[in-house]
Amino acid sequence: MKALNMVLTGVGGQGLITLAATIGRAAVLEGTHVLIAETHGLSQRGGSVEVYVRLGEVNSPLVPPGGADIIASLEIIETLRNLRFAGLSTTIMTDERLIRPNIPGISVPEVEEALKQLRSTGLRVMLIPAYRLAEKAGSIIAANMALLGGMLASGLLEGYITRSSVEKVISEMPARWREVNLKALDLGYAHVEALLGRR
Amino acid sequence: MPSRILGRPGEKVLLLGNEAIARGAVEAGLGWASAYPGTPSTEIVETLHSVSKDLGIHVEWSVNEKVALEAAYAAAISGVRSLAAMKHVGVNVAADPLMSSAYTGVEESLVVVSADDPGMWSSQNEQDNRWYGLHAFIPVFEPYSPAEAKDLTRDAFEFSSRMHHPVILRSTTRLSHTRGPVTLREAKPPVAKGSFKKNVQRWTVIPAHARRLRVELLERWGRIEEEVEKLPYNRLEKHSGGQAIIASGIAYGYVVDALNYLSLRDTVSVLKLSTTVPIPRKLVLDVLSSHESVLVVEELEPVVETWVKRIAYEEKLNTTIRGKDLVNRIGELTLETVTRAVAGFTGAEYPWKPAEAEITLPIPPRPPTLCPGCPHRALFYALKRAVNRSRVKAIYSGDIGCYSLGVMPPFEMQDALIEMGGSIGMANGFAHVDEDKMPVAIIGDSTFFHAGVPGLINAVYNKSPMLVVVLDNRVTAMTGHQPHPGTGFYATGEPAPMVKIEDVARGVGVKHVATIDPFNLKDSEKKLMDAIRYVAEEKKPAVVVARRACTLLIDAAARRRGITEPLYIVDQDKCTGCGICYNAFSCPAIIPLKNGKAEIDPALCTGCGVCAEICPFNAIRLARKGDPEWEKLWF
Repeated sequence: MKALNMVLTGVGGQGLITLAATIGRAAVLEGTHVLIAETHGLSQRGGSVEVYVRLGEVNSPLVPPGGADIIASLEIIETLRNLRFAGLSTTIMTDERLIRPNIPGISVPEVEEALKQLRSTGLRVMLIPAYRLAEKAGSIIAANMALLGGMLASGLLEGYITRSSVEKVISEMPARWREVNLKALDLGYAHVEALLGRR
Repeated sequence: MPSRILGRPGEKVLLLGNEAIARGAVEAGLGWASAYPGTPSTEIVETLHSVSKDLGIHVEWSVNEKVALEAAYAAAISGVRSLAAMKHVGVNVAADPLMSSAYTGVEESLVVVSADDPGMWSSQNEQDNRWYGLHAFIPVFEPYSPAEAKDLTRDAFEFSSRMHHPVILRSTTRLSHTRGPVTLREAKPPVAKGSFKKNVQRWTVIPAHARRLRVELLERWGRIEEEVEKLPYNRLEKHSGGQAIIASGIAYGYVVDALNYLSLRDTVSVLKLSTTVPIPRKLVLDVLSSHESVLVVEELEPVVETWVKRIAYEEKLNTTIRGKDLVNRIGELTLETVTRAVAGFTGAEYPWKPAEAEITLPIPPRPPTLCPGCPHRALFYALKRAVNRSRVKAIYSGDIGCYSLGVMPPFEMQDALIEMGGSIGMANGFAHVDEDKMPVAIIGDSTFFHAGVPGLINAVYNKSPMLVVVLDNRVTAMTGHQPHPGTGFYATGEPAPMVKIEDVARGVGVKHVATIDPFNLKDSEKKLMDAIRYVAEEKKPAVVVARRACTLLIDAAARRRGITEPLYIVDQDKCTGCGICYNAFSCPAIIPLKNGKAEIDPALCTGCGVCAEICPFNAIRLARKGDPEWEKLWF
């Protein structure tokens, strides 16, 4: 099975490691090989986070610049920062939420400017309002699952993991987050289905 | 979590590299594990903690790596299979017992896990600890994937047991923190109790014994060199193309992927090396004599490359040997750097073309930062004011912990920072050579116990005037909240004896010891100024303990127990846009608006209320009172 390379990005605390581990457990359920490289330690403290997920025939954990099939992001500045991983056929799935880096006196672009810049690249971009969808599902903590729902609906994960195995993994999570996560996954899925004109 | 590493034999589970190492140790019948937490090694012993009761084994957070290794060594020479885990620089702390452990050898397995950090993701250097193996005559095993990490750990225990010699299992950040599928195997029943057999000839390295032990060590090393040849993890995948790659540890995964992307997997031979010290000489000789050119791919230093070249010289072979001329020596290996090296070696074309997406918008950096509600921020703020108001020039002697982030603006209060415990150690030197300034050592609670205490004793004895501020947030925070001797509990949650920092300071002879709550800025500032005056006048060390728990612990506890946290808001009519709260105090929950006024993000605010104390215009006020229980969580 050809390798599928993903870069998941955002800010420490947004649930990217949980997102990656959910994909990983679903892959194990499907019998798909997977390697996930995470950033720990200092980077957890509100810094940039990049998680690399590789599915299929892979023996090493990192994604090369230009080698990502999917860049999935919960924060728009981090989306732009990680465009180096984009190749000609990369799909970018991102929330448009912008979180100000905590540096005194730093100048931060407007969301509109960031979106304009992103679109100017000519890459395939799908905006997923993961935070808004998660809030609707019951808690912004589930924004990662809304993003995952969108990724599943895009069809890019087909042959690697299925929605039902992801739901099975979520159903093993602590009870208080199960419902909201499943709901967020569903809303993210429906959002991208609508984007693709399937709903 | 615990259930995943204690699954049924045959079950396939997704494990972090460090969890896989823990499972490998369990499969080997481990009876003892000790460690001091340090990224990227922490999860090994954290995972073993989570299963210690189920298995009836001894697992502990030790006060530092030296003690962790000494204790594990004692268990191993008493017949218990033992593991000590540490980050690469932790091995420096434990180097003394490590060297001696090779001289005496061990009775049962001793596996020392060194988790190196190429790329320095969370470390002060990227030292390559395979050198320690060469230096100490201890074999170094290097797995390449989580699945292999599990099996190689188990077999490292078997090897150590068979050879009666310690083994270093070397991991790196990208292995320790990579998740992958791992198939569980049968676990040996753990043996946690042993019996030490007195044998002074063997277990005491006084010179007369050590001279004999050194002879025996080199004899044993010869047998180890033979044995590593037989390990199945070292293998030659031979093809007829005339070119071969020797790949050690994680490099093997990158090399295989690179060869696949370059369509060269069936052309170029690969020697997979999992024991880099000592190197399997016969296998290397086979590669050298049957190929025209060889590329050595390894992370960081040319350890394998040097040995391969030595073997070629000794055997009078003129095979072309390449390595660090093509492979990066600085930073970690990546699929990109290895593929470029392999492409350069074989003449193949590099496969990835990045999209030509021109980014003209300036992208602001996003370094890690102290969390909203972090007591360290309040302490830095109060300390800076106390130093300024005392009119002293401070040298902020820094240390390893979350508070290392004080090096960044707006505080910039870590002037020299080299290693664990160094804040107090260096302050001893600054105190006597730069008398115009006052050394202010800033050290965390866990770091104080780890290596700060000897420096403090030195300051008392050698009369080194310094202010030592111990930032006691009740936990080893940066590595993910492990308990330490000052916390009063164990990793299992059970109560433990509590060693009080103030008692230690007074016990070693510090006469001025104060305790402050950093959230009470006025009182903190006053007591810090008192301590500074004492140091200046008495020319002796003073200790101030700043005690407030890590905000992440409180946040998690409040959430778990359904306790409402207070919430603050900015009164936009009173806010003048002075920027003190978001610039000088720099709380990430306080966002500057376009007009310069401040706004508090309710999702980030932890309710600490320090911003309300610092606002000169009283523009920040309580919007929601917290539960009365909330305040009690902190202490």
